[in-house]
Amino acid sequence: MKVLFKPWLLALLCLNVLSVLTVPTAQAHGEKALEPFIRMRTIQWYDVQWSTQKFNVNDEVSVSGKFHVAEDWPISVPKPEASFLNISTPGPVLIRTERYLNGKPWTNSVALEPGGDYEFKVVMKGRLPGRYHIHPFFNLKDAGQVMGPGVWLDIGGDPSDFSNTIKTINGEMIDMERFGFANGIFWHLFWGVLAAGWLLWWVRRPLFISRYRMLDAGLEQELITDRDKFIAKAVLAGVPVLVLALNAVTANRYPDAIPLQAGLDRILPLPAQVNAGTVNVDAIKAEYNVAQRAMLLQVSVDNRSQGAVRIGEFSSSNVHFMNAELADVGHMPGKDDVSNNGLSLDNNAPIAPGEQRTVTIEVRDAAWESEKLDGLIKDADSRVGGLLFLYDDVMGKRYISSISAAVIPKFN
Amino acid sequence: MSAQIPISTFKPYRGEKARLARAYDYLILVLALFLFIGSFHLHFALTVGDWDFWVDWKDRQWWPLVTPLIGITFPAAVQSVLWDKFRLPLGATLCVAALLIGTWVTRVFAYHYWNYFPINMVLPATMIPGALVLDTLLMLTNSLTITSIFGGAAFALLFYPTNWPIFGMFHQPVEVANSQLTIADLFGFQYIRTGMPEYLRIIERGTLRTYGQYATPLAAFCSALLCSLMYPLWWYIGKWFADTRYLKSI
Ligand SMILES: [Cu+2]
Repeated sequence: MKVLFKPWLLALLCLNVLSVLTVPTAQAHGEKALEPFIRMRTIQWYDVQWSTQKFNVNDEVSVSGKFHVAEDWPISVPKPEASFLNISTPGPVLIRTERYLNGKPWTNSVALEPGGDYEFKVVMKGRLPGRYHIHPFFNLKDAGQVMGPGVWLDIGGDPSDFSNTIKTINGEMIDMERFGFANGIFWHLFWGVLAAGWLLWWVRRPLFISRYRMLDAGLEQELITDRDKFIAKAVLAGVPVLVLALNAVTANRYPDAIPLQAGLDRILPLPAQVNAGTVNVDAIKAEYNVAQRAMLLQVSVDNRSQGAVRIGEFSSSNVHFMNAELADVGHMPGKDDVSNNGLSLDNNAPIAPGEQRTVTIEVRDAAWESEKLDGLIKDADSRVGGLLFLYDDVMGKRYISSISAAVIPKFN
Repeated sequence: MSAQIPISTFKPYRGEKARLARAYDYLILVLALFLFIGSFHLHFALTVGDWDFWVDWKDRQWWPLVTPLIGITFPAAVQSVLWDKFRLPLGATLCVAALLIGTWVTRVFAYHYWNYFPINMVLPATMIPGALVLDTLLMLTNSLTITSIFGGAAFALLFYPTNWPIFGMFHQPVEVANSQLTIADLFGFQYIRTGMPEYLRIIERGTLRTYGQYATPLAAFCSALLCSLMYPLWWYIGKWFADTRYLKSI
């Protein structure tokens, strides 16, 4: 019989380990896993910056930036009716203390409007020392995670220094790291002792074989004694009364308790920042040359501004393809991926005020492949999208257009 | 069951035989405990899941509906075996205790030490009072029908009041971001969960809500009805699963 139990024991052990492992652990980095058309044509991040990348436990750090919600939102992706600006971390190594969208504080989820412009800020506080790779990103309901640019953060200091005290509306100061812990342990022990008492009451006598034989022999009344019955009656009557009494005491103690809050926040987009109408860009055609890893974008630019503008950058899925001719925009600190001369034009002459010009932009970089953006040509939705940045050097202005076009693959 | 042995011929085990029978008791108990810790906990984690994991999922509608409904499954099955074959009224309590052991191990090691969540954010709920009522009721009535109807209902109805002393304090209001949140909600906002956006929480969604402020009693009664049906279902699953063939040959 002992031999018979060995595989059983192994199976049990596996089951126990398995049951402990079913934890929603910090998700692996999924930034390239999402289809490229979703990464390029949903949340279009730009100007994302961290206040610092090296700080200590208890220090504040913030990430701020802007994003445009693409007009050309993919038909296969549900509209962003509930979206949550999150931070990808390996567990709460930081805590999120404040979060702002367009200057308004928010804690729940929000409905974003395609075509809308937003700016955000998330304030955090270091909790566990270490070096972590961290992104701001959007959880989009039924669509997935659209990552913003990632950075490495170095948190120094001593984890025991961490403190997180908040004030309730009743004015009570509470330590979030410990609040309710001792109380929870107490009630688990309280009921645990009662359960253990009941189990031991039975387990102390001969169990399976003897009871089975006696039951088989019709000696049922000897298995449950009058004393057992008395105790059972006391438990059956006492436990519900105790539960209701303790519940009443608690309800009395926290009369202002409210249900969990799950409303959607309502925050309107900013006045148009992208596609604002001063410099209009319309994508006519896009071709992707597989061998050269180059996207050829044919766009028509209509400059209705007061000054001449030049195309300086195309950015998509946090990859920044820069026009090397515009030296002053060639340096982008803190960006995920910058291709310093990934963008070139068939005609680099500034586009004069009032001028309408068709420009061919060549966006050539290995990033199309390394960032798995080239998978686009094999997707059901093979439209490319991104932000085009145009600069007016004289007036020091920047115009941004969100462009998109269907991609035609060229294999040689 | 085999034909009954006349009472006069029944001889209890003595000496070495009694010692062996006792050793067998302990072996079975330990194995059963590990089996239930593993299987019931896995079953629970995969079904009730987030409702039991996170303090900001424990709403007054879905949590008291889903938890007892899943929580009564293994107790019913194990009770059917232990009561039917051995007249041992401890199946429910044993299962729920095993579940709690598994849950606590997970919360401390996987959630706290491995993923850094403070334990107070992932405190488990307890169903021990409901389990004690199930065990004692079955023992005193020896009736599947009565235990299903009244035991099942009690198991569901006792769930929320049992846990309010643990979780009530997390429902005090806090002013955050120009709105009121519970302390539980604030845990969800502050302690970052990458894979758990706020909107994923299923908080008072659905039509039960139409009865206004009485969400909890309504959910509890709904759960009571379902538990009364779930109980006999799992009782028979337990019966079908049980096998005392080995015992018969001893
Ligand atoms: Cu990354």
